[in-house]
Amino acid sequence: MSARERAEAALERLLEASGTERFLISLASLALSLFVGALIILAAGRTATCAQPAVSYFGVGFCYDPAAVYDALFLGALGNPINPYFDPLHGQFAAPIQTGWSPFNGAMARTLAETTILLFTGLSVAVAFRAGIFNIGTQGQLIAGGLASTVAMLAVAPYFDGVVGTLVVLPLGLLVGAVFGGLYGAIPGALKAYADSNEVITTIMLNFVASLVALYLVQNRFADPESVSTKTETLPEFVSFPTVAFDPRAPFSLVALALGVALLVGVYLLLERTTFGFDLRTSGLQPEAAEYGGVDSKRTIVSSMALSGALGGLAGTVYVLLYFGYFGGSVPSYGFDGITVSILAGNNPLGVLPAAFLFGVLKNGALSVQATNVPPELVDVLRGLIILFVAMPEFFRLAGRRLTGPRSGDRAVATDGGSAGGERDE
Amino acid sequence: MSSETTTPLGRVRDLSSRGYIGLAAVAFVAAFALAGTLFPDTLVGTLFAVSTRPGTIESALRAAVPICFAALGGIFAEKSGVINIGLEGLLIISAFAAIYGALATGSVWLGMGVGVLASVLLAGVFAVVCIEFRADQIIAGLAIWLVALGFAPFAAQILYGSKNTPTVSALPSVAVGPFDLSIAVYGMVVAVAVAWYVLNRTAFGRWVEASGENPKALDTVGVSVTRVRYAAVLLSGLFSGIGGAAFAFNVQQFIGGGETMIGGRGFIAIVAYLFGNYNPVGAFFSTLLFSGLEAVERPLQFSGIEVSSTLLQTVPYIGVIVVLALVGRTRIPKAAGEHYESGED
Repeated sequence: MSARERAEAALERLLEASGTERFLISLASLALSLFVGALIILAAGRTATCAQPAVSYFGVGFCYDPAAVYDALFLGALGNPINPYFDPLHGQFAAPIQTGWSPFNGAMARTLAETTILLFTGLSVAVAFRAGIFNIGTQGQLIAGGLASTVAMLAVAPYFDGVVGTLVVLPLGLLVGAVFGGLYGAIPGALKAYADSNEVITTIMLNFVASLVALYLVQNRFADPESVSTKTETLPEFVSFPTVAFDPRAPFSLVALALGVALLVGVYLLLERTTFGFDLRTSGLQPEAAEYGGVDSKRTIVSSMALSGALGGLAGTVYVLLYFGYFGGSVPSYGFDGITVSILAGNNPLGVLPAAFLFGVLKNGALSVQATNVPPELVDVLRGLIILFVAMPEFFRLAGRRLTGPRSGDRAVATDGGSAGGERDE
Repeated sequence: MSSETTTPLGRVRDLSSRGYIGLAAVAFVAAFALAGTLFPDTLVGTLFAVSTRPGTIESALRAAVPICFAALGGIFAEKSGVINIGLEGLLIISAFAAIYGALATGSVWLGMGVGVLASVLLAGVFAVVCIEFRADQIIAGLAIWLVALGFAPFAAQILYGSKNTPTVSALPSVAVGPFDLSIAVYGMVVAVAVAWYVLNRTAFGRWVEASGENPKALDTVGVSVTRVRYAAVLLSGLFSGIGGAAFAFNVQQFIGGGETMIGGRGFIAIVAYLFGNYNPVGAFFSTLLFSGLEAVERPLQFSGIEVSSTLLQTVPYIGVIVVLALVGRTRIPKAAGEHYESGED
């Protein structure tokens, strides 16, 4: 009945499934979402009016072609590497990759920038989830960290310049972002540990509080006096991640991505190789057992939420540094996307990288989808569908069993989800 | 894990702390009213005058409609053991579908029907995913929210070429005394009464309660837990559908930008019923508390009291956190979030 028990049941079901099974379920969810998405595109194409149908199936014309939409979505996000003359089905065997295509193009830069931010928010959600806590509040932690670090960097930047400035101000900003995000994450952690408040509710509430307070502060305390739009002052040029390989004007830096990957490995090692990580995971899986084993569950809850919040705060700092160099009135919902990324990754830090990349592609590819006349909100529908399907592993197990036919030992498969409170017949 | 609050003693303690907070709230309101009447020229006087103005009460009731309906729906679902965190999505989808229906048929009532139907269908998907495929309810609820959050603006773009729909006419309103209230407000009061009656005085209400507290016992007496849960989740779709549609007709269009026009009201609804301890009447009053804050914001500014509207908006959220910290864990139904496999289907 408690949130913890719910989380426990969810974790058991999600984690007891083997890594391979998790991977297959994520893959199947993606495929199924794309299929349902294609149906939605076709249905939408019947509603829209167009002079010439874009595609026809079974003699019915449709205004939108799902293949063209997905082509734009996935290839557009990578800067379209495929040579239009490469069409083996119609006997054209040109080189598959376009001449002049470089992996360091602008579209790829934006996709990787999204990936980098989602890497941080995905990790943030995953850490809490492993401790048995649903952190819906990464968005708020991101806002707290992002605004605090921007203010701190603006305060010290005038005293520095050049490379020294980058070396001093940038780490300071990251530190402040992590600390404020961590503190903001520790609040729901402490409320859960010491006052039994349901973290799903408190983190949702704290998201609203963070965005409203941040809006107030940006409007009234830290407003850029020279701008009509709601934003803080812009950080000087030298306060940014150094650019490598990509165009310096692109909103992306390999250094930021490398930092994210390093953190990812760090978090993985922390969870898998340290006592703290062990305590955290056992608290998530078996809270009572962890207590008997001498784990201070209250402290574990607070510290894992603080760690989760710190990662969310870093995401805010990285977002500010990569995109605009200032903190604006509203922040895109990277925190909620982090939930999606983490769920798709099976809450495993190592899975967060491919999941973040997939959503980076989806988010940036949405821009190219506009060229096909299909509203880019389609991507949001896909995101929801993917989560919906990942949430129901049982569906895929049933489907899989139907495909492979009934086997002996079916019962073991049927109950491996740990049916808490469930009854078995016979 | 049987927690302290589920023992009879814990329950009493829980109730009494809730009782103290209720008592403190009443005392505060009484003191506020007294001070406001005695000293009309002070800050308290202005506050009192503003918050008792018919216009303020009208807009508080109007703002309560979507939150209260969604909260009533949430009570049914969660009492039966299915935590429906997707209420926000149900409100979004019904708001859009209602406007679409009204534009297509030219009738607000048919539009209302389309909105409710869309919400019930989406709730049905959620029910199948949670009950049939044993999905984690929190994750499935988030998914329902995200699907609606993407789909409604998507469909608006396709149909109207913009995330915002054209405008439609409002629901009729009926005047009582100094108040001129939309019919949806009366509907809300009736719905609260009906929900209370169904939950507390009917066999179905007892089944819902048992399904959330002790599904095995319900199964033993021969009532299908699965069916009760399906019915309860579909009811959450029905109520949210009315709320979302009524809200859209109040604004007279669907606005799909940002977090859509629903803007987190579904989440506030969850808080409202937890606040009201799963009692429809309690949920109604906690909703009024939130919508009242929303309603006094603008008149206060006209009265020359400098409040930041942005900061004032944080009050309900902070209030919820403070009360959760004081009251502690809300007594969630024992079997909420758990799957139940009957021996007989």
